[in-house]
Amino acid sequence: MTPVLEARGLAKTYDPGGAQVLALRGVDLKIGRGEFVAIMGPSGCGKSTLLNLLAGLDRPTAGEVRLDGERIDGLSEADLARLRRRRIGFVFQFFNLVPALSAVENVELPLLLAGRRRRDARRIASELMGELGVGGRPAAAPAELSGGQQQRVALARALANTPDIVLGDEPTGNLDSAAAREVLGLLRAARDRGQTLLIVTHDARVAAAADRVIALRDGLVSDKAELQAPRPVALPFGSDRGA
Amino acid sequence: MTATLVKLAFAGIRSRLLASALTVLLSSAAAATIVLALEVGETARDPWQRTFDAAHGAHVLATVPSRADARTIAALPGVAERDEPVPSALASVATGGGTERLQLAGLRSAARVNTPVRTDGSAPPTDGIVLERSFARALHLRVGGALRLSAAGGPIELPIAGTAVLPSQARYPRSNPGLAWVPRSTLARIQPDRRRWSWTQAIRLADPSAAPAFAARAVAALPPGAAYVATREDQRAEALREAQPLQIILTTYTIVLLIVVFAVVAILVGARAAAQHREIGLLKAVGLTPRQVTTVFAIEAAALGLVAVVVGFGLGALLAPRLTAPSADTMVGSPASAASPWHLLAASVPVLLVLLGSVRSSTRRSTRFSVLHALQSGAPSHARRSRVARAVAGAPLPLPVTLGLKDLLSGRRRALRLGGAIAVTGAAIVFALSMKASLDAQAAGEVSDVTDELPALVYTLDALLLVITATTLVAIALLSVRERIRDYAVLKTVGLTPGQVASSLVGAHVALALVAALLSIPIGIVLYRAVYAIAGGDAEDLVIAPWWSLALVPVGTLLLVAAATGLPARLATRLPAAEALRYE
Repeated sequence: MTPVLEARGLAKTYDPGGAQVLALRGVDLKIGRGEFVAIMGPSGCGKSTLLNLLAGLDRPTAGEVRLDGERIDGLSEADLARLRRRRIGFVFQFFNLVPALSAVENVELPLLLAGRRRRDARRIASELMGELGVGGRPAAAPAELSGGQQQRVALARALANTPDIVLGDEPTGNLDSAAAREVLGLLRAARDRGQTLLIVTHDARVAAAADRVIALRDGLVSDKAELQAPRPVALPFGSDRGA
Repeated sequence: MTATLVKLAFAGIRSRLLASALTVLLSSAAAATIVLALEVGETARDPWQRTFDAAHGAHVLATVPSRADARTIAALPGVAERDEPVPSALASVATGGGTERLQLAGLRSAARVNTPVRTDGSAPPTDGIVLERSFARALHLRVGGALRLSAAGGPIELPIAGTAVLPSQARYPRSNPGLAWVPRSTLARIQPDRRRWSWTQAIRLADPSAAPAFAARAVAALPPGAAYVATREDQRAEALREAQPLQIILTTYTIVLLIVVFAVVAILVGARAAAQHREIGLLKAVGLTPRQVTTVFAIEAAALGLVAVVVGFGLGALLAPRLTAPSADTMVGSPASAASPWHLLAASVPVLLVLLGSVRSSTRRSTRFSVLHALQSGAPSHARRSRVARAVAGAPLPLPVTLGLKDLLSGRRRALRLGGAIAVTGAAIVFALSMKASLDAQAAGEVSDVTDELPALVYTLDALLLVITATTLVAIALLSVRERIRDYAVLKTVGLTPGQVASSLVGAHVALALVAALLSIPIGIVLYRAVYAIAGGDAEDLVIAPWWSLALVPVGTLLLVAAATGLPARLATRLPAAEALRYE
C-alpha cells in the first residue's frame, strides 16, 4: 500500500554565517494512512526540520518528499500553500494563532481559503470549537485565552478542513499537565477518525499514545519502534462536518 | 546614568538608519518651512532701506486733491525738507490683452525728496516716459520701446526712456495702478482737466520718529477724507507685504508638515518600541525605570531633531532670498538672507516639541508592560481588536484584503496616524490643484498678482510631501513585514499563497489610503478656501480644481501606495515559512 507521506534520503543543510550545519543527513520515512507516529529525539537532532520539510514549509537540500506517492518537494510555494490548505494541518508548540483575528476567525481561516462561503465557514468553525471545548469564547482575541485554550483553537484550525495529515511540532510542549492531557486526547480522537498524525514531541505520554515512535539523532533515524495498539478514546466530534 | 542613556540612544540611531534618516528628512522639511516663513518677511528689509536712502525717501508722503492742500501740509511745523508737490493723473495703457491703469506723475524738474531711482535708461524723463520697474516687467515693456496711452485728444505713443524704482511704490500688480513719470507738459496733454489731478507732497522731518504724529496733524489740517498720508513705516510695510501670501502658505505647509512629522515619527517610534518589546523588558529588568526607557527614545528623537533643525535652518535661510526675489523689482539690490538666530530657535521649539510629544505618545504603552510579560513575548500582542477591525470582518472584500485590514486596523493608532498623514498630503495636493485652477481661470493677458515663485513653492512642497509619504509608506510596510514575519509564516502554513500574503499587505494599505484620499478632497478644499480668504484673495476669483482633476488624488494615491508597499510585500513572501517560524 502506498504510504500517505514518505521521505526518501531527505537531507537539509543550513549555512548560518558560512558554517555548514547538517540538520538532516538522509532520512527515509514512510507514514501509513491513519497512523499516529511520534518523532522523538534530543534538541537539535532535526525533528522540527523534518516536520517542516514534510509540510513543504522548507526546501530539502537533497532527497524527496512524497504525498500519496506524488513528489511535492518541487512544487511552487503557491502550489504547496494550496496543498497544505486542504490536506495538511499544522499545530505549533507556541500555538501561533494570528493575533489580529479572533478565535473563531482563526479557525474559519483555512475553510475560507478552501473556498467555503463565509456563513458555512463560521458555522463549521463554531461547531468544531464547541466539540473541542472552546466554543464559549468565539470572539475572544488569542491573547485573552489561556495556553490550553489557545492550543485547542490552534488544533481546531488545523483540523478545520479535515486534512489527511496533521503535523504537530511539540503541541503539548508549552502546556500544563491537564491541558496537555486534553490536547493529547483530541489528537488521538483525530487519529481514530482516520486522520494521519505525525507529532514531534519530548513528551513520553504523547509517544506512549502513538502507534509508532521514530527516534532521531544527529539528523538520522536511529530507531523505529512499533507500539501496542492504541487505547480507544471517545470521539469528541462526528465524522461529518458538512463537508 | 545619563551617559548610559545617551549611549543607548545613539546605538538606537545607528541600528535604524532608514527610520533615523526619514525622521531627519521630515523634521528638516518642517524646520525649513518655519524658517522660510520667518525669513521671507525680512529678506527684503535691507534692500528697501537702501532704496529709501538712494531715493532720499519721504518720512511722510501726502496725496491730496490740490496744490494748495499740499502747501498746507508742507507748512506744518517739524518739516526739515520739502519738495515741490508733484501732480499725477490716471491714464489707460493699451496692452495685448486689454487695458491697464497707470498713475502718471508729472515732473517739472528732478525731485529732491522721494526721487525715482533709475534702474535702466534715463531718469527723470526729459522726453518720453519712465516706467516703474515692476510695471515694466509685468507688461514685458523694454527701454527703447513705446507705450500707447489713451489721452483726451486721442491716443499718445510715448518712447520708453527708462525704468526706476521708488520706496513708496509696492510691486505691480499687487499695487494697482502702476506708476510712471512723464514731463509735466506730457501730463497736461494726457489729462488736461487739472481738477482730475492729485498732488503728492514728499516731506522729510527733522525728527523722523515724529512721522506718525505729523501724519495725524496733516490729516487733521484738511477736510475729512481729503488727504491720504503714508509714513516711512507705512511705505515699508506696504513694500514688504509682498511676502504675506508666501508667509501664509508657508505657515499652512508648516502646520501640514508638523502633523505629518507627528504621525510618522509616532509610527516609527511606536513600531520600534513594539519591535523592541523584549529589549525594553531587558532594560527594565536591569534597573531602568519606564521614564528612563522613554528618555532613551526621547534623546534619540531630540538628537535627530536638532540635526534636522540645523539642516532646515540652512535650507530655509538659503531659499528665502530666492522666494522673495520678485519683491526686488521695486528695490535697489537683491533680497538677502536674514539668518536670524531667533529663527533657529523658533524652528527648534515646535519641531522638538512635536518629536518629543510623539515619542511620549507612542512609548507610553510599550513601557507599561511588566518586565516578565515583555521578556516572555516577542512583541506586544493585540489584546483587543478595534471596532473598525470587527466591522471590516463583515465587509464583502477579498479574504487577503480582509486579513490585511484586520491586521492593520488592530494597531488602531498606527492606522489612524498613517491615514492622517495620507489625508493631509492629499489635502495639500488638492490645495495645489485648486491654486493652479484659479491661476488658469484668469483671463488671457491679464496680469497676475501671484508671483511665479508662489506656485513653484507650493508644487515643491507638495513634491516633498509626496516623497515623504511614499518613503513613510515603504518604511511602515517594511516595519509591518518585520513585525509580522511569524504571522505571515503562520498564514502560509495555514494555506495562504505568497501572492495572497502580498495582497494582504498591499490591499490593506491601499484600502486605508483610499478612505484617506477621499477624505483629503473636502479637507483640501476647506484648506484652500481658508488660506485664500486669509491671503485677501477676491472671493469672485476663487476657483476649485475641477472634479476630474480632484479624481486624480485618490487614483494617484492608490498607485503610490501600491508601488510603495509592493517591494515590502515581495519581501514578506520571500522568507521561507520554516525560517520565519524559527523566530519563536
